[in-house]
Amino acid sequence: MEYRDYYQLLGVGRTATAEEIKKSYRRLARKYHPDVSKEKNAEQKFKEVQEAYEVLKDPEKRAAYDQLGSEWKSGQQFRPPPDWASGFEFTGGTRPGATGAPGFDGEGFSDFFSSLFGGASPFGGGARRAPRQGRDHHARIDLDLEEAFGGGTRTLELKRPDMKPDGSLDVRAHTVRVSIPAGVTDGQLIRLAGQGERSAGGARAGDLYLEVHVRPHRLYQLEGRDVTLTLPIAPWEAALGATVTVPTLGGAVDMQVPSGAQSGQKLRLRGRGLPGQPPGDAYVQLKIVAPPANSPEARAIYEQMRTTLGTFDPRAELKR
Amino acid sequence: MTEAVERYEVHLMGETDWIGAGDICALCRLDLTAIAELADLGLVAPRGAAPAEWLLPAAALPRLALVGRLMRDLGVNLSGAVLAVELLEAQRSLERRLQRLEQLRAP
Repeated sequence: MEYRDYYQLLGVGRTATAEEIKKSYRRLARKYHPDVSKEKNAEQKFKEVQEAYEVLKDPEKRAAYDQLGSEWKSGQQFRPPPDWASGFEFTGGTRPGATGAPGFDGEGFSDFFSSLFGGASPFGGGARRAPRQGRDHHARIDLDLEEAFGGGTRTLELKRPDMKPDGSLDVRAHTVRVSIPAGVTDGQLIRLAGQGERSAGGARAGDLYLEVHVRPHRLYQLEGRDVTLTLPIAPWEAALGATVTVPTLGGAVDMQVPSGAQSGQKLRLRGRGLPGQPPGDAYVQLKIVAPPANSPEARAIYEQMRTTLGTFDPRAELKR
Repeated sequence: MTEAVERYEVHLMGETDWIGAGDICALCRLDLTAIAELADLGLVAPRGAAPAEWLLPAAALPRLALVGRLMRDLGVNLSGAVLAVELLEAQRSLERRLQRLEQLRAP
């Protein structure tokens, strides 16, 4: 495994005060928090910063980490010394308001962190006294719009903290195949009963809640169960009306464009959005595309329009 | 270590699903006082008498989990987290509108 320089990750010196560390963490957390950041690799960077703060904010963990020495560089091959963390006393604690993770804080952190501060280490929490129900877990699943529409099967690799018989916690990769129901929407929850934290002592395992995120689509925008598509049409189709073929998630359909249609006008295809009770609608937003005047014939047609439709003023609204 | 692949049938949480306040607290890593304050602020509409017996709509879980993450990770207080959630939702809605308008403008 590779050594991680937590001071470097937080951009502070090894002699930084607790206040300086907190300040730097807050600044970087705000910059990379995956819920608010638009930075590239925000999630990965946020986890690194969070991991560094998890160690440096805690005087016991920081002292133990400092004991490794300052000669190490980020990325260097590392193995914990055999007498790792001997001579330290460990305490615990949670914070008010948004509670700290009860028990295990290092979910999603690096192997470096796990080897030093994870379940098997003296920092890992130790045995629990009584069997208790496993906690529910909450994870995120990213789907394409087509998967949300049609459903399907998805293989997920989940990192799950499991309780070992001695009561300590261990993070294990766990592969599950999940049937995605057709018509699942952005922000909706999928529950996998019994797939949360397992419990020692025979108590019930927790559930796993997957929060669905639908990835942005090239053609369609999703709002609830409704989808919107921008449909280019020719000026004569808009002026005279036409039957046009429209792609929808369930396949192409014919749609009547009314005569006198305008750019930006929305037409509804009832029930052509995501399936459900009731199903969503597909909205078709019209976009009039003018053909180029790139031949004598095309120019002649435009000139004839100018002559014939000379009283038409597309900017009349601006003169009010 | 990776275990053998297992296949699970799932339950899609809908508007008729409710989750107990205790489970919501554990999932979102919020305490019951915070959930009660969020109910006062109108972010969630619980059903039941006392907060400890409340049931909360499953659909509210992503918002409440986001409040929990913002409070925990960024050190903002509850009111600040609620404001951030509402602003983020407004931002996403505007981004979707912008995307639609940009598609209209694109050649």
